[in-house]
Amino acid sequence: MSTTTVAHHDEHADHPTGIMRWLTTTNHKDIGTMYLTFSLIMFLVGGSMILGIRAELFQPGLQLMKPDFFNQLIGVHALIMIFAALMPAATGFANWMIPLQIGAPDMALPRLNNWGFWLLPPSAILLTLPFTLALFGIGDGALATGWTFYPPLSVQGGIGVDFAIFAVHLLGISSVLGSINIIVTLFNMRAPGMTLMKMPMFAWGWLITAFLLIATIPVLAGAVTMLLTDRHFGTHFFDAAGGGDPIMFQHLFWFFGHPEVYILLLPVWGFIPQILQTFSRKPMYGYKAQVYSLWAIGALAVVVWAHHFFTAGMPVPALLYFMYSTMAISLPLAVLFFCWIKTMWRGSMSFETPMLFTVGWIILFGIGGLTGLVLADVAADAQYHNSYFVVAHFHYTLFAGGIMGIMAGVYYWLPKMTGHMYNEKLGKLHFWLTAISFNLTFIPQFFLGLAGMPRRIPDYALQFAEFNMISTIAAFVLGLSQLLFVYNIVSTIKGGKKATDQVWEGAEGLEWTLSSPPPYHSFTEQPTVK
Amino acid sequence: MSELNQDVVVIAKNNNSLSPKGFIWLFASIVAITLTVALGVSVVGAWFVLPFAGLEILAFAWAFHVVILHYEDHDSITINGEHVIIEKHRYKQVEKFTFQRYWAKVILRSNQDGSHALMIGSHGKEVEFGQRFISEEQRLHIATRLRLQIKNND
Repeated sequence: MSTTTVAHHDEHADHPTGIMRWLTTTNHKDIGTMYLTFSLIMFLVGGSMILGIRAELFQPGLQLMKPDFFNQLIGVHALIMIFAALMPAATGFANWMIPLQIGAPDMALPRLNNWGFWLLPPSAILLTLPFTLALFGIGDGALATGWTFYPPLSVQGGIGVDFAIFAVHLLGISSVLGSINIIVTLFNMRAPGMTLMKMPMFAWGWLITAFLLIATIPVLAGAVTMLLTDRHFGTHFFDAAGGGDPIMFQHLFWFFGHPEVYILLLPVWGFIPQILQTFSRKPMYGYKAQVYSLWAIGALAVVVWAHHFFTAGMPVPALLYFMYSTMAISLPLAVLFFCWIKTMWRGSMSFETPMLFTVGWIILFGIGGLTGLVLADVAADAQYHNSYFVVAHFHYTLFAGGIMGIMAGVYYWLPKMTGHMYNEKLGKLHFWLTAISFNLTFIPQFFLGLAGMPRRIPDYALQFAEFNMISTIAAFVLGLSQLLFVYNIVSTIKGGKKATDQVWEGAEGLEWTLSSPPPYHSFTEQPTVK
Repeated sequence: MSELNQDVVVIAKNNNSLSPKGFIWLFASIVAITLTVALGVSVVGAWFVLPFAGLEILAFAWAFHVVILHYEDHDSITINGEHVIIEKHRYKQVEKFTFQRYWAKVILRSNQDGSHALMIGSHGKEVEFGQRFISEEQRLHIATRLRLQIKNND
């Protein structure tokens, strides 16, 4: 009997290489990388579409495109940005970071994880293919209904609507598979000692997101399938002439659509406090209050949907209920804002790029929240509904609150993922260009909305010309400044100053105990959380 | 990891942070959420939601089933009279390796990252114990204990 030590045994590092690595991978980091890459590509595709729209709106009159193509660009831009850019970005972070943050070797169901990702590229093709088919005389382009698919327009629309319906189905399946994986992973694969109330806030944000997805995706799937049968199989679910109800579609769509806003934002609300505590060099303030607030927002998210169509008409008690319940969301959200600010209060703050994006995010997302309160008011909404005020509001919520949050996350975790530090000067330049041009794009749109300019029109009255011109120029600066972001990411992947394991002086959590980049198989032995 | 005296048994298994009862509660909650929503919208005419809700519940049931199948996966070492027996339990399959106690070796192989793999074997045949179940610290501790226990065969 003896104890012997023999060198060089590391079967854990074995993994396929080349294209097969990416096609067949079940590794959470590989899949996370694919989600993030896909998201970045689709962000550029969706962004290019909106630059086409803004170019058309530079001046009154029709210059560049026909109204129908304009409408197609708007609908596909929204679907791409929501389903193919923002959601995959949050899912990419989940794949990369949740196992690292809870001390798990991988996601609970790795093959399911692979399927979840590979459903995305076909759905992106389905969304954009009708544009190409129209060039060859097949069909009349993509869906031109906006992302909301409202009947009767969607029932009368061309094959672009069918393509979009199948794309939504694939995206829904992908989301449900992702939710299953996240729920099982978070409940069953936490390291010893990591109780639920010790989970990182990002994990909480995603857990609630997963529950929102499983509650709402079947409703969206059912609604668009009913639309499909109305279009092709003679049913009349949403056809008033056949005894159906087009307003029911609005209820079903927004039962999914409003929680979708929180599905996009909750993961960001998860990692924002982590970034704040890192760069404030003090513990997160009000952990429990934040967890309970996230749950409260998740619960309220599914009971406020009808504020999106107050003007469609509903009984006064329903109007009052949806108005007050919508406004109630501001209470837990105010708790979150208070905790975020209190985390920074008297902290030893420094303003590296992730922190700049985070502080900018708090201010701009705050504007998005406050303008949402205006729209929640039934009387005010009657004036602002379907105007550019709404467009500006939801871009403060989803671009500032969503995409700028994701950018903060990218700069925060990129050194951990790649093992290299990004170019800080370029990062800061990217932030300032983004923040300034974003405001110059959308503040004029608030004024346009207040002055009565409706959304989803390619032409407008002469009185709106100046603000539209400013908005378009700023939108192009905003779009082009994102090339800096892409360049910074690519150059960081290729090389750069070596990142330490902890990366940031104030960073805390299991992911920072691993090397940068982490080994292919991390936590092959379980860490213990005290 | 647990050890018993008499015949020495060492068991290494995954940390499952959710109990089987917890899985049942979690599944019940998911079914309740999905069905409440689906039945609610069905009542107002959107019965097409029901099959999708059913599919979602089936997907969860399948996923939980897969996880629970591997819930009890573990490695065990039994030191028993003249033998050292290693068993690898994976779902319903059990791989069993028996070595003569006198000849059995405990080997710590160095990985490239500085950690070790705990191998037990003799006559050129080796089996790894607790590959993903135990920490480096536990691995070193078990190696020392096994060495003592296997030696103590009077």
